[in-house]
Amino acid sequence: MSPDPDVTEVTENGRRRIDWRETLFSFQSFFGLIAVFVAAIVFSPRRNGEILFLTSDNLFNVVRAVSEIGIIAIGMTFVILVGGIDLSVGAVLGLSAVGSAVLLVHDDLGVFPAVLIVLAVGLVFGLLQGMASALFGIQAFIVTLAGLQIARGLARIWSDGQGVAIAYGDGPNEAPVTFSLLGERTFGGVVPIPALIFAGLAVLAILFLRTSAFARHLYAVGGNEKAARLSGVPVNRVKIIVFGISGLLAALAGIVHAGQLNQGSPNDGAGYELDAIAAVVIGGTALTGGRGSVVGTVTGALLLGVLNNILALNNIDANVQLLIKGLVIVAAAALQRLRPSS
Amino acid sequence: MNRPWKGIFDVKRTIAFTACLMLAVTACGTTSQNSGKGPATQAKCEGTGGKYVIGMSQANVAEPYRQRMDDDIRTAAAKVPQFEVKFADAAQDNAKQVSDVENFLTQQINLLIISPNEATPLTAVVKKAYDKGIPVLVLDRKVDGDAYTSFIGADNRDIGRQAGKYVAEKLLPNGGKLVELKGLPGSTPAQERSEGFHETLGTKVQVVATGVGDWLREKGQQQLDAILKANAEVDVVYSHNDPMAEGAYLAAKAAGRESKIKFIGIDALPIPSGGVKAVEQGRISATFTYPTGGKEAIAAAKTLLVDCKQVEKKQTLPTQLITKENAERVYREANG
Repeated sequence: MSPDPDVTEVTENGRRRIDWRETLFSFQSFFGLIAVFVAAIVFSPRRNGEILFLTSDNLFNVVRAVSEIGIIAIGMTFVILVGGIDLSVGAVLGLSAVGSAVLLVHDDLGVFPAVLIVLAVGLVFGLLQGMASALFGIQAFIVTLAGLQIARGLARIWSDGQGVAIAYGDGPNEAPVTFSLLGERTFGGVVPIPALIFAGLAVLAILFLRTSAFARHLYAVGGNEKAARLSGVPVNRVKIIVFGISGLLAALAGIVHAGQLNQGSPNDGAGYELDAIAAVVIGGTALTGGRGSVVGTVTGALLLGVLNNILALNNIDANVQLLIKGLVIVAAAALQRLRPSS
Repeated sequence: MNRPWKGIFDVKRTIAFTACLMLAVTACGTTSQNSGKGPATQAKCEGTGGKYVIGMSQANVAEPYRQRMDDDIRTAAAKVPQFEVKFADAAQDNAKQVSDVENFLTQQINLLIISPNEATPLTAVVKKAYDKGIPVLVLDRKVDGDAYTSFIGADNRDIGRQAGKYVAEKLLPNGGKLVELKGLPGSTPAQERSEGFHETLGTKVQVVATGVGDWLREKGQQQLDAILKANAEVDVVYSHNDPMAEGAYLAAKAAGRESKIKFIGIDALPIPSGGVKAVEQGRISATFTYPTGGKEAIAAAKTLLVDCKQVEKKQTLPTQLITKENAERVYREANG
């Protein structure tokens, strides 16, 4: 059962393998999403004949609610595709939320420089983790577990351990009003900005994975690292870059988080890494690397969002909700095992 | 080099597919709720004949105090036949709590009760509910601004003052040595329970040591372990909550000094593991109630929805001293 790099959708002669089973499984999460969506319609509470789940307000709430997890899950997909894992993303999100708030409020920076600095911090943090993992050969799990602690510590230091509230205005210690856009809705006050950012980023990431030479290297490293190395793929560089991407996107999610909640708090994003990993797994990306897609991850994130929403709309007990979500993740992983391995 | 993924069809297909995916989840919402776009209206009030759905958004039900708050609401609401209460738990996540309230709005609740995880992040969504004409009762922790109907909560500074007075007048009228065990640094209750206490403690009582227990039983125990080693004489331990006082008691017991020290706590939850029982069973000498406001919230909801009357913008809940004399009765009445 050694992983075969060729299972990544492509055969030696460059043609798409037409295997209906493979096709079915590669759309597994999509069918899952449809199933959950239909179930949500069926079980949705109704008011005067109106299906509450299907109201546009509610559907946009769903996408808004998953946008942060979705953004970090996209970064996580890159890392997992090379066979790694990034446990630091939730903490980096917290660090970036704190950074955004402190830079905008305490340091009175403009939106552009503040965002740029925060993104740079996330990128560098990710790259450093990638270097530690690739150059010293430490497992990604260990490096990013340490990274999680370090990012939390930095967030507490940067904020003096307190949540930093973001007030808007032109005065000192007030953030520019532009930043509050992240908490707003556009197109007639309907479409939440974070949902647009998530959607735009998803398209970019999907195109990037489908068209860039880097993506080809990435699948090669994840499929069979030794073979990739022998065929001249810069394995270490690929690994470092995917961690950089993950850190960068976690920072972006942190900025969105601060904008949505008007606050940066050092405890923000606790446990988000697990939700992101769940979205990736439900999306059909193999934790062993080499196989998977951002389309799957986006579908997985939306599936989790719809599931959360319909459980909440039906007032399922919070503790029972945890059980159901856990079972869905196990079911998705179990389906993966049935997938033809070559 | 073969790069089938570079095919133009793939790019097009990808964009189309992603767009479909996003749209599938959003744009097929055929109906739009515009009912909330108008100006804030009066609370729906149909008197005793109406039926009302109340949404209760809890910050973190894993804390016993907040579990008790939910239970108090459940018990009180069960006595009002017109009420149905739905509960949501944010598990200490601000973002989750925002979604919880949004989901309540989708369900078109008639009244919102919220105990916010933190003030600023929840302010916007609470305002959104309030602007839709839904009465909002805020419990225990506040939100910014005044876009809510009523705040119901206890006064931590006043509780601190009463604890200080109790120590100065009842426990150590001739002075003595005191240890203060503080809650999580930076949290408002820890600050206010300390400041109020020192306002009324006077000068006769000497504070020999201050420990930080982060509200936790095990940390209270660790702190007292060390403090008792360093101080041969301690008369009273003032702890910012009951669990830390229980931890301090365990430390004193391990040192064989539990009978020489009096332990004061705060919260007095009337649950089996709470402070009222600890006083009744003699581990803690006294504790002060920090009411959850659950019962009062349902009373306010009844005033607004069933009696069609207004409620005060702020309702401060009084504290009660619990000692060996009244512990058993208070516990029974709170659970009766």
